[in-house]
Amino acid sequence: MMVTGYIQTHNLSRVYDGQTWALNNVNLTIEEGDWVSIIGPSGSGKTTLLNMIGCLDKPTEGSVVINGITVNTLNQRQLTQFRREQIGLIFQQHYLIPYLTALENVLIAMYYHSSVNEKKAIEVLAKVGIEHQRQLNNKPSKLSGGEQQRVCIARALINEPKILVADEPTGNLDQKNGQVVMDLIHNLYEVGHTILLVTHNMDIAKQGNQILQIVDGKVWSSN
Amino acid sequence: MFFRILRKSLSRQKGKVLISMIAIIMGASIPSAMLNVSLDINEKIGAEFRKFGANLLVVPKSDTIEIGIGDISLSSVKDQQYINESDIYKIKTINWSKNVFGYAPFLYQVVSAKAKTNGEEQQVVLTGTWFEKNISLEEGEIFTTGVRKINSWWWNVEGEWIEDIETISDTIYCMIGKSVAEKLSLNLGDEIEVTYRETVQETTKNLTVVGIITSGGSEDNHIFVPLLVAQSLTNRENRVHTVQVSALCIGCPIETIADEIETKISYIEAKTILQMTNAEMNVLEKIQMMLALITIIALLATILGVSTTLTTSVLERRTEIGLMKSIGAEDRKIGALFFAESSIIGLLGGFFGFLIGIVGAQFVGILVFDSLVTPQVIVLPIVLGISLLVSLLASLVPVKRAMGIEPMIVLRGL
Ligand SMILES: Nc1ncnc2c1ncn2[C@@H]1O[C@H](COP(=O)(O)OP(=O)(O)OP(=O)(O)O)[C@@H](O)[C@H]1O
Ligand SMILES: [Mg+2]
Repeated sequence: MMVTGYIQTHNLSRVYDGQTWALNNVNLTIEEGDWVSIIGPSGSGKTTLLNMIGCLDKPTEGSVVINGITVNTLNQRQLTQFRREQIGLIFQQHYLIPYLTALENVLIAMYYHSSVNEKKAIEVLAKVGIEHQRQLNNKPSKLSGGEQQRVCIARALINEPKILVADEPTGNLDQKNGQVVMDLIHNLYEVGHTILLVTHNMDIAKQGNQILQIVDGKVWSSN
Repeated sequence: MFFRILRKSLSRQKGKVLISMIAIIMGASIPSAMLNVSLDINEKIGAEFRKFGANLLVVPKSDTIEIGIGDISLSSVKDQQYINESDIYKIKTINWSKNVFGYAPFLYQVVSAKAKTNGEEQQVVLTGTWFEKNISLEEGEIFTTGVRKINSWWWNVEGEWIEDIETISDTIYCMIGKSVAEKLSLNLGDEIEVTYRETVQETTKNLTVVGIITSGGSEDNHIFVPLLVAQSLTNRENRVHTVQVSALCIGCPIETIADEIETKISYIEAKTILQMTNAEMNVLEKIQMMLALITIIALLATILGVSTTLTTSVLERRTEIGLMKSIGAEDRKIGALFFAESSIIGLLGGFFGFLIGIVGAQFVGILVFDSLVTPQVIVLPIVLGISLLVSLLASLVPVKRAMGIEPMIVLRGL
C-alpha cells in the first residue's frame, strides 16, 4: 500500500485570530499502535495539535489524515461521528458531567455512540479500578481526583476507540494516582491502542516509542 | 438514558428552572384567565338564550335600566322611566297575537331586606311581577300569563309558587332566589322585613317566604313579590320597568312582532334577545380583544424572560455542552436535551398557570360580570399548548447557542 502511516499531517497549521500561529507547518507520521509522547513549553501548541488529531478543531491550512480519511474535509456531523467511533479523549482536567454519577458519565458516552449497555460500562469501570457500588453511584464531586480521571479513562475506552488522545492526564494528580493512571495507559498501549499523550514529565514521556517536541508551533521529532 | 440525563440536569439547576417556570406560570395564567372568562361567558349567554322563556324584552324608549340576560348585566340604571301596566295588554292585540305565548312585567327596586329570624340584613333587588295572571282580552277572552307561564320550565322552585293579588292584605307571600336564601339564612316559612327608603320617607313591608327559586341566573339574587306589592312599596302605581315577552316563533318573524309591539305602545322599544346578545357580544368582544392584547404582551415578556434565563444557563453550562460534544453528542442531541428541558418547564408552568388563571378569572368575572366563572376544562390543553410553544420559542436562541459551542473548548480547559 502506498499510504504509510496511520495518522498523518501534511503542512498542518492552525492560526488563531489571524495572528497566533499555534501550529506552523507540521508534518507527522504516526503508525498504528504507536505511543507518541508530546512535550514542549506552555503555549507551544501541544493542545492545539491534539485538537487537530482528536477531530475537535479544523486546521487553518494543511490536512490531517487518519486511517486513510482526510478528516478536515468532513462536515461537522461526520467529524462528530468519526470522533465518536475512532477516538477516545482524556483531558487535563478530568471533565465529568457534574450531575451524573460515575457510572452514568460512562453510560452517556455509550448513549451518544450507540446504545447503553450498563453491564459493559461496569466491566470497563472495574478495569480502571472503579468497582465499589459507592464509587459507581457517586457524583464526580464525591470522587477523588484520581478516581475522576479513571472514570474519564473508562469513558474514553467504552466505545473501543483505536486512538487515545490524552492531554496531560496526570497533570492534576499526585504521584500515586498519576502512577495508577499511567499504568492503565501502559496497558492500553500493550493491547495495541495508538496513543498520543501530552505531558510535562520526561519520565512519562520516555515510556512512549516516539517523542515529539513542540516549540512555537513547530515539531521536532526525537526518538 | 435521555430521560435520566434530562431528569438529573433539571434537578441540578433547580433555581433557574424555578425562575423560568415562574415566568411561564405568570405568562400562562393570563390566557388561562382570559379563555376561562370568555368561554364561560359565551356559554352562559348561549345557555340563557336557549333556556330563556322570553325572547323579546320591552323597555321604555331611551332606556337606561339595567338590562341583562341571566346574571350578566352590562348597563345600569341611571334615569328611571316606566311602562304603564295598563298598556301591557296591548301586546296581545297585535296581528301576530296568536304567537304571543305569554308575557310578564317587571318592576325592580333595591331594598334592604332583614331576616326576622336572625336579624341579618342585606341590600337586595325586590322584583314585582305577575305570576299567573288572568287577563280579559278585548273579545272577552281570558288569557293567562305571567312568569310562571314563560319561565316555569327553567326556574326550579322549592316550596310554592305565589299568586297574584288584587289587594294587599296583612300576609304577603314572596319567593326568593337561592342566593338570597343563603345570604340571609332563610328557609321556607321565614319572614323578611323589606324597607324602601326614599329621601325622607321609609316604607316597610313584611314578607313570608313560600318559595325558593334556583335559576342559575340573576333571579337567584332577587326577591319576587306580586307586582302590586312592589308598586305600593315604592309608590309607583301602574308602573313597570320592563316586560318580557315570549313569542312562539318557529319560523315566525320575531322582528315583525317587535315592530308591531312598538307601534301599539308608542313609548317603548321591543328588543329581541338576539339583539341584546349581540350588544353584549360586542362588549365581550372588546374585553376579549383587550385581554388578547394583554396576553400577547405578557407572552412576549415571558418569552424574553425565559429566553434570557435559558441563555444564561447555556453559558454557564458551556463546558458541559462542549464535553458532551467531544464525547460524541451530535448537535441535535444537545438541542433535544435543551428543548426537552424547556418543554417540561413549559408544561409544568402551563399547568400551574392554568390553575392561577382560574383564580384570576374569578376576579374578572366578579368585577366585570358580577358572576363567578366556571372553570373550563378545555382551556387546560389550550394553555398547555401555548406554554409549550412559548417555552420552545424562548429556547430557540439559547439552543442555537448551545449547538454552536465548539467541542474544543473542553480541551483548552476553559
Ligand atoms: N481558541 C484560541 N484562540 C486564540 N488563541 C489560542 C486559542 N487556543 C490557543 N491559543 C493560543 O495558541 C497557542 C498555543 O496554545 P495551546 O493551548 O496549544 O498551548 P499548549 O502547548 O497546550 O500549552 P499548555 O502547556 O499551557 O497547555 C497559545 O499562544 C495560546 O494562547
Ligand atoms: Mg495545553
